[in-house]
Amino acid sequence: MIGFDIVGFMISWLTLFGIYAILSLTLNLESGTAGITNFGKVVFYGVGAYISATLTTYLVLMLNGVNVGEKPPYSVDGIILLGELGNKNPLLNIGLLVLSLVLAFIIAGVLGYLLTYPILRVGPAFVGFTLLSSGELLRIFLQHYEPVGASKGLMAIPTPFGWVAESRVREVAYLCLVLGLLALTYVVTYKLVNSPLGRTLRALRDDEIAALCLGKHVPRIKATVLFIGSGFAGMAGVLLAYYLTSVNPNMFVPAVTFNVWAMIILGGFGNLKGSLVGAAIVTFVDRALTFITPQLGITVISPDYLRWVIVGLLIVVVLIVNPKGLFPEKPIKTPAIDVVLEELRGGSK
Amino acid sequence: MIPGMQQAVMNAFQYSLFYLIFSLPLTLSYRTTKVINFAHANFITYGAYVAILLHGILGSNLMSLAVIVAFLLTGSIAVINNMLVFTPLQKRGSSPAIVMISSMGLWIAYKYLLYMITDIANYYTTKNFVSYGRITYSDVPRGSVGGIDFSQALVASLVAASLTVVLLYILLEKTKIGRAMRAVADNPSLAEISGIPRALIINLTWFICGGIVGVGGVIWTSFSGAITPEAGDSMILQVFTVGFIGGLVSLLRTGIGAVLIAAIENVGIAVLNAFFGIPVSFRPFLTFATLITTLIAFPPLGAGGGLPYRFLRRGSKK
Repeated sequence: MIGFDIVGFMISWLTLFGIYAILSLTLNLESGTAGITNFGKVVFYGVGAYISATLTTYLVLMLNGVNVGEKPPYSVDGIILLGELGNKNPLLNIGLLVLSLVLAFIIAGVLGYLLTYPILRVGPAFVGFTLLSSGELLRIFLQHYEPVGASKGLMAIPTPFGWVAESRVREVAYLCLVLGLLALTYVVTYKLVNSPLGRTLRALRDDEIAALCLGKHVPRIKATVLFIGSGFAGMAGVLLAYYLTSVNPNMFVPAVTFNVWAMIILGGFGNLKGSLVGAAIVTFVDRALTFITPQLGITVISPDYLRWVIVGLLIVVVLIVNPKGLFPEKPIKTPAIDVVLEELRGGSK
Repeated sequence: MIPGMQQAVMNAFQYSLFYLIFSLPLTLSYRTTKVINFAHANFITYGAYVAILLHGILGSNLMSLAVIVAFLLTGSIAVINNMLVFTPLQKRGSSPAIVMISSMGLWIAYKYLLYMITDIANYYTTKNFVSYGRITYSDVPRGSVGGIDFSQALVASLVAASLTVVLLYILLEKTKIGRAMRAVADNPSLAEISGIPRALIINLTWFICGGIVGVGGVIWTSFSGAITPEAGDSMILQVFTVGFIGGLVSLLRTGIGAVLIAAIENVGIAVLNAFFGIPVSFRPFLTFATLITTLIAFPPLGAGGGLPYRFLRRGSKK
């Protein structure tokens, strides 16, 4: 081993795992449980990341009395000022984190809610394609919109724990934040999947017409699910922006969505534990490739490209070999079933 | 008169030919095989890179050579995709959505495989294959007729588009193979019972569809100023919207869609640019607006599992 920093590797892997696991849990809720072929996860992820980046950089400069008209955060002056001013006030940094998370949840959620309108009447192919192309449009828009830095993006974003001097402590604190939000996401999605709404979602996925005939308001249910899923994806985007401290349009390519798809396909459709395991495996391979390839002296092939090829092939191979994934979906046990079983055995009365 | 309008109209004509070449095979392949193939974008890019690698490594200037090689290569890729991925999945009874997701996986894998190939080619030849300039071919005529400039791309795409339309018409309407393809499209089980070799027909359809798109990719290299491994992806929105306007069923409506989208994009953005100063790079937004309008106003039913009903507003009793 040539200077292998095992703790650093673990922290970077777990942080990335936390961010991606939020995406995979909510995508599993949308696609695995509700059957909406969401190929546009990256839209809400990107919107969240850009909301936090824009909000944080502009507010930090404005609250410190800098004229952002003259020295916008994407200019060289702005970046230098951000580096000087960004990490001094703990209260401001934490406050901005909370504000970003709330705003990202609401804006990404509402965007997801609105995007369900055109796709209610059509099949999964059109749904998937519409969401996929909205991701590409977001990227084109960001590339040409000057106030968010156009194709260069925004850099030197002040982080919530930037005021902590020790870098290891800072990383661990951030990791705790990410894992805390992941736990929140898991609890919310778990409760939803095992609630009456979750069972309606499965009905909708397995037979939409039957669900409609049983009086379920299919459009509203789909919109609700996309609101929740997209909101959490927006929060994952916020976490990504603060983790990398920079955002640019090329981070949000469609391949990111399929990275998440690979996780839920590997873990198993409709199984939340599977999504966690899938996210852990895929992000581990990602981190390992990034750590190992430079040490092997391979420079011709970029680990990024290799990773995406692996992700693509993973989707195909898992679907062919084991379409149910590592953890197949299990039937839900409700209290009602226990009562029925008990009565069938003739025990209760 | 809006400045640049003549150019915009010429561009619209040029683009409608490209969209025709790219979208007709999409509709044909969906109709016959019932697979929504998102790896369609790869056929465009791989076709273009056949021409680029022939030009950059072997120094070939012949479009005819590139067209033949591209047709064989992308056609074979389509057949391999079908034999190794789509057919096994369909045989197991996977839903159309699962088959579609597998094509997404193929799309990502092929795309970044091409990035790796360009990096390796770049390493050995020190030429920049990730952004390659326009290729001027030696075997395609060009010139100016009646004040209209016929570029190589226009000549080649005009020939290719008309050949595609005419040959597809003859194939589908006049030959036994075409009748078999239509039979498989309409009722696969019945076609198989009446002795049509369904697997062979589907493979043949994939070969033809993949090949035609690859040829379109070759012609794209004589038009686009900078060809990147994203070339096909940047057109996927337009190509699929054109296909969706045709409901992925009707070849005629797909053709109309190609002209419509090309006109909306090129003429529309010229108008918006002249009056509101909207940058030309925002033209995909017009296509997206058309896509959304199509989905809301004329939801394509049936294709890809659409529902054969419309949602009624609550309380509307009529």
